[in-house]
Amino acid sequence: MSAWYYSHLILIQGTFISLLLALSIQVPLRAGVFSFAGIGSYAIGAYTAAILTIRLQVAPILAIGAGVVLAMVAGYLLALLVARLSGLYLGMATIAFALFLGVLAINGGELTGGPTGLFGALSTLTTTHVVVITLLVVLALAANERASFGRRVDAVREDPQLAVSLGIDVNRIRRRVFVVSGALGATAGGMTSLLRSTVSPETIGFHLVVTALTMIIVGGALSWAGAAIGAVIFTWLPSLLQFVGEWQPLVYGILVAFAAVYVPNGLLGVLQQGWRRMQARRHRVPAEGAGALADTATADPEHALAALGNRAEVQS
Amino acid sequence: MAQDLLNALTLGSLYLLFALGMSVAWGTIGILNFAHGSIFMFAAFAAYELVRRVSLPMVAMIGIGVLVGAALSVLVQVLAFEPIQRRAADPHKAELQILVGGIGIAIIPLSIAQHITKSVPFGYSAGSFRVITYDLGFVRVSNVQLVILVAALGLASVIGWWLRATRPGLALRAIGVDPEVASIMGVDRRRLALGTMAVAGEPAGLAGVLLTYYLGSVAPETGDGFLLKAFAVIILGGVGSIAGVVVGAMVLAGIETLVLVNTSGSWAPAIAFGLIFLMLLVRPRGLLGRQEVRRT
Repeated sequence: MSAWYYSHLILIQGTFISLLLALSIQVPLRAGVFSFAGIGSYAIGAYTAAILTIRLQVAPILAIGAGVVLAMVAGYLLALLVARLSGLYLGMATIAFALFLGVLAINGGELTGGPTGLFGALSTLTTTHVVVITLLVVLALAANERASFGRRVDAVREDPQLAVSLGIDVNRIRRRVFVVSGALGATAGGMTSLLRSTVSPETIGFHLVVTALTMIIVGGALSWAGAAIGAVIFTWLPSLLQFVGEWQPLVYGILVAFAAVYVPNGLLGVLQQGWRRMQARRHRVPAEGAGALADTATADPEHALAALGNRAEVQS
Repeated sequence: MAQDLLNALTLGSLYLLFALGMSVAWGTIGILNFAHGSIFMFAAFAAYELVRRVSLPMVAMIGIGVLVGAALSVLVQVLAFEPIQRRAADPHKAELQILVGGIGIAIIPLSIAQHITKSVPFGYSAGSFRVITYDLGFVRVSNVQLVILVAALGLASVIGWWLRATRPGLALRAIGVDPEVASIMGVDRRRLALGTMAVAGEPAGLAGVLLTYYLGSVAPETGDGFLLKAFAVIILGGVGSIAGVVVGAMVLAGIETLVLVNTSGSWAPAIAFGLIFLMLLVRPRGLLGRQEVRRT
């Protein structure tokens, strides 16, 4: 166990950090906000933590915390700026924001280390810290998904107009979602640069958008659990796919495309649907007995209901 | 100065060819194809694989590029976007799936090309076409540049005319306004969508081959950079507007050239992103877009 733990340490760290990164996209997506600002926050968090650690040797909690606060402020301002955009336009604006930060890092001169980035951000952050922080964050998000706030978020996603008429302040929820996304992204970024002790412009590019998005889509976009499934799969898949060698990206691409087309609710959706079917079958067996005809007759509506209810189920 | 202007026009024409199909597909059938960059690169790559074995003239290479571009684009539509649009509950959810599906599909041709070329840039030096540069005194222009300029402006006008003046063009614009009402009016959405994707893929394939001739060689990763530039072009000009794409492509190329000539050039990549962001904030429907952006 211990030997396995040490030889897979990078992958274990990677799982938790990419979970946070995936959550920074999943949280807005859950509210129907198509924002990639979490990737930009990742960059803010990564560079803030590295700069503070190298120049001022502050404690890791302060270095990461400063990045988180900065990213939350940036997220709030961004939310105000892009308030009237939605859908793909919002996605595009936030991608532009994230990629712009990458160019900013290249041109940041001494402060950001230019194209080579920053080295030697040595800190006392350990894997245990990463795991504990991530678990706390996930617990908080899971509690939020179940609370009344979670239901309001569902309403904002499914029907913004209806949500407004129910007295929900849609814009306020959207702003809040941007702030939370900023905090999550910055935590992931800060912890990455302190664990690796380095950060460079290449590590905060477009590929992060792709990684985070694929995790959520394959895992399931409507709950933190989907992001967790995706984070585990896509962190460990590359090491499992070593037998396909150089064709690994090809397999990866096919998987992502297939999931996007045929499994829109992600693996989480498939699991939930399977669970519901199993439950439905188990409950029906004792009550039946009389006619096989009645059984086949009810089977269809039951199916249709399960398929319909799946969406509601995922949200609740 | 005149030389910079010509170079900017050439670059703008390449952006134009690339973004043209994306803009039409997005503005009419609502598909933002993230695999467009990959299709563009793979068309150039397919032509390279052929020219490596048989020495071909430029016309044949262009033909191959156009065919491969159209075929791949249609294939993506049939295998991915069509099932998504058929199965999705509402267009809003389909958007996200189309985006992610496109990103996934884009990896496939890219990794095939990277595997075969070992990520080394490829060129058409084995072909029979030779680049000739004419010195006009105040400016030097190559025959490749002339072909690019003529092809881009010619195609943009043909597609613009087709959308505006023909019956299929009218049907396509109707889909862009309201797909369901268009269906009721007897518009065959499936067939038109396939046709649109074919038309969208053709200029991309053409742009891929011409870019390879223009630069001498391109790397398999070139498509990604073009994709992000194309977003800027489309947002700048306005989604679905052909004149908008022309203006957007030329403005972006102009500003990029200006920055490249006058500075060290490290800020050049930020221009596209900055333009996207600014435009979306100041005027989300673009310079020439008529369509209103959804706002809820």
